[in-house]
Amino acid sequence: MNRLALLALLVPLLALAAPVDDLLQQYRAQGAKDFSVAAGEKFWEAPHPDPAGGEPRKCALCHTTDLRVTGKHAVTGKAIKPLSPAVNPERLSDAAKIEKWLERNCKWTLGRSCTPQEKGDVLVMIRSK
Amino acid sequence: MVRVWDVPTRVFHWALALAFAGEWFTRDAPQLQLHEFLGYAIGALVVFRLAWGVWGTRWARFTSFPLSPGAAWRYVGALLRGRAGRHVGHNPAGSIAIYALLLLAALQVVTGLVALGAEQRLGPLAGLPSLAAGSLAHDAHRVLAWSMLGVVCIHVAGVVVGSLLERENLVGSMLTGCKHAPADASVAARRGVGVALIVLLVLSAAAWFGLRAGDARAQRASAALALPRDARWQAECSGCHLAYHPSLLPARSWQRLFAGQHEHFGEDLDLAPAARQALETYARANAADRFASPVAWSIAHSVAPASAPERITGTPYWRERHERVDPAAFKRTHASDCGACHRDAESGAFSALAIRVADARPVTTVHRP
Repeated sequence: MNRLALLALLVPLLALAAPVDDLLQQYRAQGAKDFSVAAGEKFWEAPHPDPAGGEPRKCALCHTTDLRVTGKHAVTGKAIKPLSPAVNPERLSDAAKIEKWLERNCKWTLGRSCTPQEKGDVLVMIRSK
Repeated sequence: MVRVWDVPTRVFHWALALAFAGEWFTRDAPQLQLHEFLGYAIGALVVFRLAWGVWGTRWARFTSFPLSPGAAWRYVGALLRGRAGRHVGHNPAGSIAIYALLLLAALQVVTGLVALGAEQRLGPLAGLPSLAAGSLAHDAHRVLAWSMLGVVCIHVAGVVVGSLLERENLVGSMLTGCKHAPADASVAARRGVGVALIVLLVLSAAAWFGLRAGDARAQRASAALALPRDARWQAECSGCHLAYHPSLLPARSWQRLFAGQHEHFGEDLDLAPAARQALETYARANAADRFASPVAWSIAHSVAPASAPERITGTPYWRERHERVDPAAFKRTHASDCGACHRDAESGAFSALAIRVADARPVTTVHRP
């Protein structure tokens, strides 16, 4: 009985903490290995040539290297709220939103979708900031 | 020297001259509040002058300078032959300028109020005239302003020529009130009644305006439009840029933008079919060609029927309206960030009263010894 009550308490708690863990699980199921903050940081700064001939593209171009500060959209100049969940609790709270922006921003930055490994590395890196 | 012009007539003359100059230099968006206030003041001055033309002193009355183009023509001919002689009050050519300026000033007040009522939904005619009438009135307002400037130039030239040929300082007489004339032409200064009347009328114009002054007024102008909003549109578009209101582009532009969603200014929007459907339906139902706001009306009418611009900055109306904006202001911000200058950009209203040109943000340099 006691164990059941504990479980009932834990389920919603797990659901709350879940989005990133769920995604990481999916990425592993798709063939990704262990994720690391260091690999995420490296990926974050890796430059990719701009097909239009402008400044090389990388995650940090818009989001900056410090995830705790406000970024700036490279094309429109719009302010981008900090990615760090510690500063901006809204971040990493919605799995659909995370997937949408990873897909869109990978396509713009790298010219292709990211691999499950790349996505996982970036997510654990963002979560650690 | 004998006093011909009473004090109220002179105060009226110079107040109108100053107000007209003020109107000229406040015709662009950031000063429109002052422009509107001066318009009320001019309306009050015209009302005063009409009253003073009936109840004022001898030379200020309309009966002393009847409108007569024939007489004016004969006067100019005589003047150029050097045989015109002095006039105690207004000469026949000068009276034409006075009637023309009073008429033009009155028309400017009327066209200004119609444009304000239609395009900003403000002022005594707020929301009454149609957008088409407002646009027509606005065009007329511009043409009449130049006409008025033309009449002012002719009037000033006439005063200079007349002063030289009549050997009478006409500018000075409008300041001191005195001219060379027989003693029985003298009028009382009549300070009290007339000046009080001018002050009262101009103050009521100021009060009329003041009741609606300030930021609250600009907000009301924008809110008066009450453009439709959509939460999904807001959320989807504002990820990368201001969620431009659909009323800023014609429906065919939105159709084109959604058809090209995988190449949206270099980004792949990759919208799910249902989301795309909902967004496109909302955009097309509220596009510029629905004329939900004066700006929508103007944009829709500026875009050629065969073209479907993908950028708001690509519409002829946008270009025309931003031609005279200081290029430095665009360097301080992005042309895509409408909100940098238009405080009501989010709502899509784009009231002329809600404009504040982007602040200069100078780069601060630290001097170290």
